[in-house]
Amino acid sequence: MNLRSFLKGTLLMTVSAALIALVTVVGFLAFIYYNSSGGRDWGVPIQQVSDALDRDGTEYRFKGEELLETGCWAMLLDQQGQVVWSFRKPQEVPEQYTVADVAAFTRWYLQDYPVQCWVREDGLLVVGSPKGSLWKHDIAMDIRTLLQTPFWFGGIFLLALGCVLGLSYRAARYWFRQAQQARDAARSEWINGVSHDIRTPLSVVMGYAAQLEEAPDLSPTRQKQAAIIRTQSQAIRDLVNDLNLTMRLDCAMQPLRKETVHPDSFLRQTAADFLNGGMAEGFPLEMDLPAKPLPAVEADPFLLRRAVNNLLTNCVRHNAPGCSIRLGARARQGGLVLWVEGGTPAAPPAPAGPDHPLEPDGGAAHGTGLRLVAQIAAAHSGQASFYVGPPFRCELWLPLGQIKSGP
Amino acid sequence: MAYRILIVDDEPALQQLVGEILSGAGYETDSALSCAQAMERLQAAPPDAVLLDVMLPDGDGFSLLGKMQAVRDLPVLFLSARDEDEDRLKGLGLGADDYITKPFLPQELLLRLRSVLRRVYREQLQVSRLGDTEIDWGKGTVRRGGAQTALTAKEFTLLKTLWDARGNIVTTDALCEALWDGPLVGYENTLMVHIRRLREKVEADPSHPRYLLTVRGLGYRLKREGER
Repeated sequence: MNLRSFLKGTLLMTVSAALIALVTVVGFLAFIYYNSSGGRDWGVPIQQVSDALDRDGTEYRFKGEELLETGCWAMLLDQQGQVVWSFRKPQEVPEQYTVADVAAFTRWYLQDYPVQCWVREDGLLVVGSPKGSLWKHDIAMDIRTLLQTPFWFGGIFLLALGCVLGLSYRAARYWFRQAQQARDAARSEWINGVSHDIRTPLSVVMGYAAQLEEAPDLSPTRQKQAAIIRTQSQAIRDLVNDLNLTMRLDCAMQPLRKETVHPDSFLRQTAADFLNGGMAEGFPLEMDLPAKPLPAVEADPFLLRRAVNNLLTNCVRHNAPGCSIRLGARARQGGLVLWVEGGTPAAPPAPAGPDHPLEPDGGAAHGTGLRLVAQIAAAHSGQASFYVGPPFRCELWLPLGQIKSGP
Repeated sequence: MAYRILIVDDEPALQQLVGEILSGAGYETDSALSCAQAMERLQAAPPDAVLLDVMLPDGDGFSLLGKMQAVRDLPVLFLSARDEDEDRLKGLGLGADDYITKPFLPQELLLRLRSVLRRVYREQLQVSRLGDTEIDWGKGTVRRGGAQTALTAKEFTLLKTLWDARGNIVTTDALCEALWDGPLVGYENTLMVHIRRLREKVEADPSHPRYLLTVRGLGYRLKREGER
């Protein structure tokens, strides 16, 4: 799963959740509206009932029996609260009402009967429904609260949306990491397997090439060819090693084993090991260290040595038959700067010096060697800068936070 | 007497290569392609050291190391295609004397094997030659043109350290570590004085040394006989 899929997944989940929330809220409100007196009447059209009740002199004539279903009843109260007309009025419903009674049943129930009221010129028409058939509730709200309702709804909706977004982000990130870890493990295992399988045959090639290089019965030309085979085999070995370490750093599978490293002695030892390895004939190496000891840093010496070695090897490989190499360090820019400088790299066209740095990872043209240097710097919360030159120069900067006082 | 080395690796081509390298350097060799064969060879003809692969068809080198150590205390060098830190640390932690990762150069294998054998069997050099200078390690003296001179303790340690790594650069830090068990700081000038005095004892012309060479900015190197 890549980043795009991850973002798409998060977005899809959020939109789905928002849609579900919206449909639920709208449906709920619609249900309330259409099933309350605010939307429609309660099933008894009280206005029509009122219209169907005429006064003929002192008598009332009702022509709307079909409007009242079984169990429904009606009555008309005059201005004094006296029932002056009724239709199917239950026995327990009184004939006389006070103002307080009227105020009570208009809001609640009358003898547990849910009732509706309609004001007429000649009094108050009351229509009752069977007990337990309707639910009534009196709602009152502060007008300011009512006016704020849209904002409250909006705020709650945004809060819910934020929660959904956060949850879906966490869920998507979890799945993304799981998928990435599985993919990284598979990739690392595969590269490990391949590099393991290549090492034994490479040992045989390198070993015999080295022996042929020294064989007295071979002509100098053949010995030179054997030396080339040996050198190229070493290049493949370095590539395999770099590839493995790059993969481990990429997948965060390489633990940092930090120790206190004294840059002066560390660089001297690294340079000595490099020269002792015999790969740098024709490449004079000059150390550029300050007279005063540099401050110690907390770093993984194995990884740092690998980075410096890669830079030295890079100089040697791209500058045959020889050039001078400078290896140095200074405490500056709030940190420790280690650098390797020498010759020009063969691969990229050279734009100019330090004003034209290469890409932070050393540029794709340099393969895994310089990319690994950049990764090692990053693993130490530092930075690697590559300059095309001439001369080619790489600086490794380790931050101030990792510096300890000098020895 | 030549040391006898047992090579345990399941790859016949590598067995043959390592066998040829060691035979060429004057060692006797024996070989085993599996853990079972290795244990048989160990019982039948005990070697002086073992070169051991980690991945074997009937088990792993780490377990085999334990079994071998139970039978006989031997120097063991792992020779493995597994280069991860965990494997190296595990191998060394189990008591191996070195861990060499494949692919390797014949010279590297020989140097590391020689170093282990020297350390384990306390190989004592009696007399060595550096050009026309004879070094008597037992007495701690050097003889040039018939005149014998005693080495001081510091000079002896210095010369021995450089001799053990002859042909290679030894950094000033490593020399200070050998002489004073500490870092270089404060000892640079003292080290230079010791080097100058040592040159006076081993070089024909101390101002233009032929053997004890300075590698500017790094340290010193004792040149091998015949080396350009």
